[in-house]
Amino acid sequence: MKKYLLLLIAVAFSFYGFSQETFPVNGVKDNRANAVAITNATIHVNATNVVQNGTMLIRNGKIEAVGAGIAIPAGYTAINMNGTHVYPSFIDLYSSYGIPRPERRGRGGFGGAEQIQSETKGAYNGNEAIKSEYNAYSEFTKDEKEGAALIKNGFGAVLSQRMDGLARGTSTFVTLGKGSDNEVTLNEKAANHFSFDKGSSRQSYPGSAMGYIALLRQTYEDAKWYDAQSPKPFKDMSLDAWNANRNLPQIFDASGWLTALRADKVGDEFGVQYVIKGGGDEYQRMAEVKKMNASMIIPVNFPAAYDVDDPWDAQRVSLSDMKHWELAPANLSYLEKNGINFTITSFNNSNFLENLRKSVEYGLSKEAALNALTVNPAKLIKMDGRIGTLEKGKVANFIVTSGDVFDADTKMYENWIQGDKNIISDRNTPDYAGKYDLNVEGKSYALTVSGDPGSHSAEIAVNDSTKTAVTLKIEGQVVNVNFKPEGADFTYRLSGWINSDGFKGQGLNAKGSWISWTASKTANVQRDNKKKGNESKETPSLGDIIYPFTAYGSKELPKQQTILIKNATVWTNESDGVLQNTDVLLKDGKIAKIGKNLSDKADRVIDATGKHVTAGVIDEHSHLGASAINDVATNSSMVRIGDVVTSEDVGVYRALAGGVTALQILHGSANPIGGQSALIKLRWGQAPEEMKIAGADGYIKFALGENVKRSRSTNSIRYPLTRMGVEQVYVDAFTNGREYEKEWKAYNALSSKEKAKTTAPRKDLVNETMVEILNGKRFISCHSYVQSEINMLMKVAEQFGFKINTFTHILEGYKVADIMAEHGVGASTFSDWWNYKWEVRYAIPYNAALMHRAGVVTAVNSDSEETIRRLNQEAGKIVKYGGVTEEEALKMVTLNPATLLHLNNRMGSIKVGKDADVVVWTENPLSVYTKADKTIVDGIVYFDLEKDLEHRAYIDQERARLIEKMKGVKKSGGRFARRGSAEQVEFHCEDVLGEESDLAKY
Amino acid sequence: MRLKYIQLLVMNLLLVGSMIAQVPIPVKDQETPIALKGGTIHTGTGQVIENGVIAFDKGKITYVGAAAGFNLSGYTNVDVAGQHVYPGFILPNTAVGLEEVSSVGAMMDVNETGDYNQNVRAQIAYNTDSEFIPTFRYNGVLIAEATPGSGIISGNSSVMKMEGWNWEDATFKADVAMHINWPGKNRRSFDFNTFSFEYGPNPTYEKTILELTDIFQDAVSYGKLASKEKNLKMEAMQSLFNGDKLMVIHAEQAKSVVEAVKFGQEMGVKRMAVASGTELLLIADFLKENNIPVIVPSAHDTPPRTDDDYDLPYKLASLLSAKGVSVSLSNSGMLGFGRNLPFYAGTAVAHGMTKEDALKLITMNPAKMLGISDRLGSLENGKDATFFVSKGDALDMRSNDLSHAFIDGRDVTLDGRQQYLFKKYADKYGQSK
Repeated sequence: MKKYLLLLIAVAFSFYGFSQETFPVNGVKDNRANAVAITNATIHVNATNVVQNGTMLIRNGKIEAVGAGIAIPAGYTAINMNGTHVYPSFIDLYSSYGIPRPERRGRGGFGGAEQIQSETKGAYNGNEAIKSEYNAYSEFTKDEKEGAALIKNGFGAVLSQRMDGLARGTSTFVTLGKGSDNEVTLNEKAANHFSFDKGSSRQSYPGSAMGYIALLRQTYEDAKWYDAQSPKPFKDMSLDAWNANRNLPQIFDASGWLTALRADKVGDEFGVQYVIKGGGDEYQRMAEVKKMNASMIIPVNFPAAYDVDDPWDAQRVSLSDMKHWELAPANLSYLEKNGINFTITSFNNSNFLENLRKSVEYGLSKEAALNALTVNPAKLIKMDGRIGTLEKGKVANFIVTSGDVFDADTKMYENWIQGDKNIISDRNTPDYAGKYDLNVEGKSYALTVSGDPGSHSAEIAVNDSTKTAVTLKIEGQVVNVNFKPEGADFTYRLSGWINSDGFKGQGLNAKGSWISWTASKTANVQRDNKKKGNESKETPSLGDIIYPFTAYGSKELPKQQTILIKNATVWTNESDGVLQNTDVLLKDGKIAKIGKNLSDKADRVIDATGKHVTAGVIDEHSHLGASAINDVATNSSMVRIGDVVTSEDVGVYRALAGGVTALQILHGSANPIGGQSALIKLRWGQAPEEMKIAGADGYIKFALGENVKRSRSTNSIRYPLTRMGVEQVYVDAFTNGREYEKEWKAYNALSSKEKAKTTAPRKDLVNETMVEILNGKRFISCHSYVQSEINMLMKVAEQFGFKINTFTHILEGYKVADIMAEHGVGASTFSDWWNYKWEVRYAIPYNAALMHRAGVVTAVNSDSEETIRRLNQEAGKIVKYGGVTEEEALKMVTLNPATLLHLNNRMGSIKVGKDADVVVWTENPLSVYTKADKTIVDGIVYFDLEKDLEHRAYIDQERARLIEKMKGVKKSGGRFARRGSAEQVEFHCEDVLGEESDLAKY
Repeated sequence: MRLKYIQLLVMNLLLVGSMIAQVPIPVKDQETPIALKGGTIHTGTGQVIENGVIAFDKGKITYVGAAAGFNLSGYTNVDVAGQHVYPGFILPNTAVGLEEVSSVGAMMDVNETGDYNQNVRAQIAYNTDSEFIPTFRYNGVLIAEATPGSGIISGNSSVMKMEGWNWEDATFKADVAMHINWPGKNRRSFDFNTFSFEYGPNPTYEKTILELTDIFQDAVSYGKLASKEKNLKMEAMQSLFNGDKLMVIHAEQAKSVVEAVKFGQEMGVKRMAVASGTELLLIADFLKENNIPVIVPSAHDTPPRTDDDYDLPYKLASLLSAKGVSVSLSNSGMLGFGRNLPFYAGTAVAHGMTKEDALKLITMNPAKMLGISDRLGSLENGKDATFFVSKGDALDMRSNDLSHAFIDGRDVTLDGRQQYLFKKYADKYGQSK
């Protein structure tokens, strides 16, 4: 396609015929009508209305008439477009055409001094990432170079935004025409834009996906509050703009289906239906994407094939990346089949047309494709009255092609924008292909000219097998031919011109003398007129979509069954203790019966002779299954892990293989007050929202010690830097929470009459959370190590009349276990971790035993995607260190964490009526020698040693199939990139997005 | 409570002057011959002797075998009936003694600056007062290879005992191995757009190999030159060529391992071992053919790639052993986890090995690899009396429970500060029996 770009010569018929009346003229007025009649073309008025042998009249950049048999008025330049197709030019809603690039600076975070305040000058929002005051029109200026790339792909108009900030402000809708900025601008404020990328903002907060969501939610609240007041309490021009632009189409830039769902959820909360720019992976979760009910802007950037020749290197390419390579071209066809309204963007896509046509080859209908590029985008920004079809009165934006625009071999000839022609490849290039009798110095040579018009090549046939190479150049009306006659030691160098029956001219012979030559056409070359694109290519056969879209995902999710586990050693965690030779019946997702010789009907009977059955392992402290873990505000209580749960983390499957059935995804420990937790069950394969435990209590992470006082960041300026400051952060936060509550109570006590006259207090997401904690509606799990600060937090809580729910890690809990027992706080600790940083120097593996015996509900946690796979063994260590009984030790990873998470009425023991979250172990569950044989959640077998072998076989087969397919691509000259892929990043307590701290992460 | 009364006494004496428990006091050399009788003896060579006797004098084993026929007279008899006897576990490739609190730079002596540190010696930085040491031996790890890290050539490791007044006492064998961090042929880089790692060729690979080639060729030449200026780095390398010193190649990628081993052979390095992970499975035949023992990282690890079997790290040692490769287990990640070495072997049992074969992964195999199997690695006559007694199966965390540990026949103190703190607070809360 590159050469077409080079060919793209902006040839205008005239100077711009409709220059503005209000502008000064330097010279003599030269306005021309630019009246043109396109004739004899196949005109696609829109996707369904096609006019054969049609005529289209355009004048002053607008369409005047379209149809068959239209008389051409006098004065209109008639252009015979016989054999061509004419379509509306495409519209791209995702572009930054003509907008200066924002300066992108590095991210703040661990290590450097934090930027707490906004440094934007002027009366704008307190957070740099809120740039709602920005209007793309203020900086827009047409850019011919950028425009050329869009034009050659068929685009005639774009919605141009500045891609910077969470709230990006408004975009301008412009054509790619050559007129002035005034002429090309169709709507200077066409839409309002949002994203999950804070862009050039250097402000520390927000630093994560969940912070972006929290800031957007807070800003929606702030805007509402600000809007309700007159006069305003202060000037915030960002909020002014936010409110002023809320009736424009709202477009959200998401990068894939997962972030799209998150954006849609934010919109739902505030009554906004975003148009969502997707990522091209929507097919992976079609059902959820459909439920959003959002119109979408979809890229067709498909991954290139991976280098898989070397099987050692090929191991680095993950199954999910290979499958995406195969399935990405089918994405649009899935969207169409599911009735989703979408448009297509060419942003950052150097293979746009090729990939668009590939999408059609993979099942997207041509009608849907054309709509997605014309009418749909026009409608989404309410510009369909002016653009998007070839109807009277619309902007004369159209493309001229050699055939069906979605066929692979079709050439894009011209792209007219506002009535001005842009030539992409010359429609009128003469075809000189044929056989010629070349006569030079009385000798005749059989010259054959072949190739496409504009790129001819030539050769001379000596006999049936021997050919002489010929250099042939045809430029306009002049010709140049060089060749070395067979057996000769010289080259004829001939110049000449186009003649009626071929070429004629003069040239130089061996002696350097001027001679005459002719080449007379003797025959036309028989071209293969059958257009390849018109053959109905079969849609390629594709692999399965698996859930989740990664190794160990399944085409069909496992179903809930009635399961009878026979003859097991059952560790009940109840007063019954450990029962021998006992059966357990699981029905409707609950534990239905426990007893000997049960003979209930079951879908599945598991013979557990010699095996052990326990309640599922529960991890009070995990960071699996989330896309972000830490935000960075000192008080980050407004951020919610629940906003960023992901279903695609293979760590979840591996944890199931270790008998884990539920866990708390905790925020990290970067701040004294961290974000809100998400409690999930390991429903591997279900969508993110489905993994959450419905009805679970709300939790929040607090943290103490080295991490929150930024001990390893010598440049940190963020308050607090000492344990003294940490206490004050808490006292301050809870004091503010109480004040906030008072303010709202006073407001709520007003009569409706008084309320109407009073501005409601500002809804503050931080204080909302603090009030929840104060009122026992949200519970604290506090990362903690050293006894002094553990004691301190309990005293702060008591001062405000509530209790800390859990101290997590709590490695010096043993030193204050009596005080903890008195306060009533639980403990969730490591088994034997210690000495990886200064504050854990006095951590001892006897901690759990000491706290347990002191009357503290004690759990053993992981904070690690490795340790979570063996929490049962970590409990085994508590038997070793401190001599806790095996039954009590097992409770530390089952019932006790359930208690700490207020789920003990539903989970944590083998008791009739509790959730059927059960593990069958091959041996004593605390032993290093045991394996989880089956892990059952809600009566659904999510992990099974036998099924695991099937997964492995499937992965091997799929990989082999896809590698073979990729090799095919390489051979057939498809694109090819050397790239390995895809190791997931594990999160720990201290990880800020994108930063890997090597030591002491916990 | 498991505290032996003598140890308790020692501990109490120790605590008189200080609120903070110190590292336990090293005990005196063996004064009288001792015989432990009635235990199940796991010799480390695959043999299990039920109701056996192990006798030792002056720090050396004098008898290992059935109780029947052994004359116990002249020995201090200790009844260990129902208990298990194991050779002292050996932890190779660890920073113990060099690292204390990893997040505090002042407490780290692991990583010397510079790329080529052939001359650096771990032995002299080994801190016998490290808080880690008592916790290691509490679980049966009695010998460790203190190993420097960083750079391309990190320096020389030494085999150290988990007891001693100073590094001289604690040294079992100095400068046993030189450690080389072979560069990856491919390099991993982080991509913010996909939030994942991507692989591409390592642009500096060739340059590093050229540097290493120069260094090794110069070292060979140095050894042969009649007259020369003394060069500490070249001196340190000479023992690689006569087989005295092992060269341990650290490399993650299979391709790098192959190239490094070939390089060593070409340069005339006599003994080599490889420290690597799951990619070793790709070249098991190569390792076996070339007789290269391997050190694998912690079995308690996550599989490196999404598509891997969930139990790949668990079964790595087992799979390699089945291919005929000599495997030693080591610890990766936090140094404190070094005490879990026995359980890494237990994990290998859960994933395909017999207990006695898994035992070799932490006794005989590392002893052979490090060139110390003449004295350590198994319970045999004439070998060092460096072994321990556990009340239960030492490879399982449920039952690993030492009653004695002997280093050179010295009945070392098992309890350390962690046990002291346990007792202190159990007493405070009235939990002690």
